[in-house]
Amino acid sequence: MNILNIKDISVCYGDIQVLWDISLSVTSGQIVALLGTNGAGKTTTLKTICGLLPSVSGQIDFEGKAISGFPVHDITNLGITLVPEGRQLFPKMNVEENLLIGSYLRRTHEHRARNLKTVYELFPRLAERKNQTAETLSGGEQQMVAIGRALMQNPKLIMFDEPSLGLSPILVQEVFRVIQELHGQGLTIFLVEQNVHQTLKIADYCYVLENGRVVKEGAGKDMEQDTAIREAYLGF
Amino acid sequence: MELLPQALIDGLLIGGIYITIAIGFSLAYGVMHIIDFAVGEWIMLGAFLGYYLNLWSALDPFILLPAVFLAFFLIGYLIQPLVYRVISGKKGNPVLMGLVFTFGLGLMFRGSALTGFGFYSHSIPSAISQNSFFLEMGGMFITIPYVRLAGLLYALAVTMVLHFVLKKTNFGRAVRALSQHREASGLMGINAKRISSYVYGIYVGISAMTGVIIGSIFTINAQMGGEYSILAFFIVVLAGMGYLPGVPWASFLLGLVQSFFLIYLNPSYTLMAVFGILFTILLISPKGLFGRGV
Repeated sequence: MNILNIKDISVCYGDIQVLWDISLSVTSGQIVALLGTNGAGKTTTLKTICGLLPSVSGQIDFEGKAISGFPVHDITNLGITLVPEGRQLFPKMNVEENLLIGSYLRRTHEHRARNLKTVYELFPRLAERKNQTAETLSGGEQQMVAIGRALMQNPKLIMFDEPSLGLSPILVQEVFRVIQELHGQGLTIFLVEQNVHQTLKIADYCYVLENGRVVKEGAGKDMEQDTAIREAYLGF
Repeated sequence: MELLPQALIDGLLIGGIYITIAIGFSLAYGVMHIIDFAVGEWIMLGAFLGYYLNLWSALDPFILLPAVFLAFFLIGYLIQPLVYRVISGKKGNPVLMGLVFTFGLGLMFRGSALTGFGFYSHSIPSAISQNSFFLEMGGMFITIPYVRLAGLLYALAVTMVLHFVLKKTNFGRAVRALSQHREASGLMGINAKRISSYVYGIYVGISAMTGVIIGSIFTINAQMGGEYSILAFFIVVLAGMGYLPGVPWASFLLGLVQSFFLIYLNPSYTLMAVFGILFTILLISPKGLFGRGV
């Protein structure tokens, strides 16, 4: 069953078109990845799904319901959560407040205490630093807060925008471990990455984006074997 | 020397009122990035509502505060979408658009008030207006009018309630989130338009209540707004644009400067001194007293 269906969406920044008839779908309970180089349109795709950018044509369905044109806060309320590029934490708030703002929506209130406990179990580091303001955290810790904040929202679909960006190799491993753990708990994950090697290892299905178009798609394992892909898009 | 305690007390009492002149203004700037030059006019309109309600009902102005707040909260809440449209338009510089729009709004309010309420000054009599509290300590006399003390207590109460709401409630966290990172707050499910409307309502409501307090301490008239707009602007810049915790300190500093000038030097130079200090502080720390402004 597809939780998210995107059909032929095009997106423009002013007069410049950046996405051309993108179609993709995310199956419930899977990790689906979107790969591509800088400027391919990966972040734009995510922002369009979230309602941060309008699409000029095409349709986005979430759980069988058309959501194109909805404001971002309504889409969030339906259960789509984005862990944005560059974490985008609330810099002057402490760790705990950043997590609590994740459960701003009324539907998440009843799970707040339990979710907070889960997040602190997943990232014991955050429990130690819960009174520290977000701007004073290291990049890795900030990424943990961003993921924790997303989990506080009780998402049905969690989307990651380059979660490994700017992290040390050990922390990259850690982030991918967490993503797999969330997947193991039954969460549906849409992962946007440039770290092709790591991503293909955990993704069930994969799309490759180039210059605003989907140029290739297939199961993660097939992609890794595909020599043409390796040479043309993945660079190894 | 015997005037020193009185100067200090006066400064704190007047500074307290300044907190509530500026705190809503600072909050609205933090969330909506609007410099609302109608702030003084909201104070004036609130003062006149208090004045007429007092005439009509003979209730003490301090008892009328909740009613004034509610009325102006509603006005602010309803007018905010219009302000939002102006400052989020695609054309023009949004900060400048906000300035011009609120300046025009203020002019309209002042003009209408002159027509509607007349030119004369009024005061809003409170039961405690006449009495003062006298202290004598080793030859030093301190006078504290009850109504000024009540004004200070009102200001502290507003500040503490606001602090509590912003720190401890879901709504308050949403307000802070919105002022710190607009896009991310949308991803948290926060409805920016609705929260901004509430914030604008709260700001207009606090300003209007402060007008009533001013009316029971000093006098009010249809042209009082400009002076308070300047004061609010001064305090917010001194505190750091949008940096709320700086507002009480900047207000007390301004109050003390004023009272010392009034008592020891020439009162006519007060405003000059105030701007001299603002100028100096901004030279040293362009982001306000605490370096935490925008």
